[in-house]
Amino acid sequence: MDNSKIDIEPSLWHGKVDLVYAYQHDKTKLINSYSQAPLKIQSPFYPEGEAICHSVILHTAGGIVGGDRLSQSFHVQENAKTLITTAAASKIYRTNGKEAKQSIFVKVDKNAVLELVPQENIVFNNAVYFQEIKINLAPGASCFGWEITRFGRSARGEKFLHGEWRSNTEVWQEGSPIWIDRQWLLGSKEMFDSANALGGKPLVGTLYWVGQPVSAELVEKARTCWYNHRETQGEAGVTQLVNGLLCRYRGNSITEVKSWFIDVWNLLRLNYLSIPANKLRVWQL
Amino acid sequence: MMLKLHQFQLLNLLQLASPALPVGAYSYSEGLETLVEQGTIADETSLESWLSQELTFGAIRIEAAVMLRAYQCFVNQDLNKLNYWNCWLSASKESSELRSQSWQMGNSLLRLLMNLQESNQGNPDKCDLVSLDYFTSAIAPPCNYAIAFGIGAANWQIDSKLALLGYLHSWATNLINVGVKLIPLGQTAGQKMLFKLREQLARTTEEILTVSDDNLMACSWGLGLASMIHETQYTRLFRS
Repeated sequence: MDNSKIDIEPSLWHGKVDLVYAYQHDKTKLINSYSQAPLKIQSPFYPEGEAICHSVILHTAGGIVGGDRLSQSFHVQENAKTLITTAAASKIYRTNGKEAKQSIFVKVDKNAVLELVPQENIVFNNAVYFQEIKINLAPGASCFGWEITRFGRSARGEKFLHGEWRSNTEVWQEGSPIWIDRQWLLGSKEMFDSANALGGKPLVGTLYWVGQPVSAELVEKARTCWYNHRETQGEAGVTQLVNGLLCRYRGNSITEVKSWFIDVWNLLRLNYLSIPANKLRVWQL
Repeated sequence: MMLKLHQFQLLNLLQLASPALPVGAYSYSEGLETLVEQGTIADETSLESWLSQELTFGAIRIEAAVMLRAYQCFVNQDLNKLNYWNCWLSASKESSELRSQSWQMGNSLLRLLMNLQESNQGNPDKCDLVSLDYFTSAIAPPCNYAIAFGIGAANWQIDSKLALLGYLHSWATNLINVGVKLIPLGQTAGQKMLFKLREQLARTTEEILTVSDDNLMACSWGLGLASMIHETQYTRLFRS
């Protein structure tokens, strides 16, 4: 690596978002909102009625480079329901020698729900990236979310053959861990092609629903959602967590993984919240 | 004739890491049954590659590292930490099938260790010093296999590095036996593979000895998917 570049590109952003939602008079309100460039928060809106507040987070610089730090904190207070998404795919550019880091801290209070449904991450070849998501749930709280990550700009034939990607997701409820997911990928041909890792497929997806017990029947239904996608190309699995549900995808197609995840989201929403889920307009699927 | 301490330790390790240990390891394939059905694993080369890559970056490394932490908690008599790691490991499993396997084998091993301790009362040797009840009561059940193994190894005063080698070796032995049955392979081919894996087992052991808590991570999409799919595989020899 050419180390002389480090001083030429001293891009050391520390983007921040800090959001607090409360449920007041049958409405989920954004009662505290702070953001610092390059992160920005759009005004809350209510496409599904006042009970569910939608928020869109924007990265105004277009992508993350080495040395960048992004910190986001979401607190959803008792009985509030919030959906948070991103305005565009997150690009993680090749490193200048430093690690880029994103931290997301989530607190969900009693009977509140947070849905964290960002658009996909695109990890460029040579990127060095670490992401941590820590979710704390009160009793009766729940959180739904997904992470879709493409390794290398595969549309132009790029593979993730150099660099490092780490993702640490932890969910705790009442002082006990209910899901700990420590994933790691070292950019190399061996790991890219290995059946144990990517199996030659550049796209992986993880969907989680945590905080509520999930029946074997519901797991079966989430599997059926996959088989309803005719002519599937990727691989998919569904299982129970200690207190929740987990779906994994490995394949090539954003459309395939996203439409399956939306179906599972719809299934879970109908089951736990008695409302349907649809693709969001901001996604432009 | 009095056995020396190191002789006791070797015999203890052989017993704890033996594939004949009655904890049911032989009834699980850890995703291999799916991978063989899919054709991903079809011969000696692909099985050896799977095992060696799991040892290089797979979930077994986290298991082994937590086994070592349970061992150290036992030595330091740190009951809170022992319980913490047991909960942590349950939450970090790739699938419900792998979690059930770990719980079933862990509970069986704990029971076995207590039975052995009871039967050895009044015949105290240099090993098996501390009452196991004291430790097992600190763990909110069910107990994961790696935790029970760490407790057993520490209680029997097996050197921690040898315990790690033994733990990984018994894991590899079991999965090679699965491959021998399913692919199928000859017994000798299986033994050759185990022999060949020794260097990788030693390398992984060295790395696990020094890995920090923050660096407990793995690349486990292959294992996770295979194990999730196995939960509903139509015809199976191996348990969920």
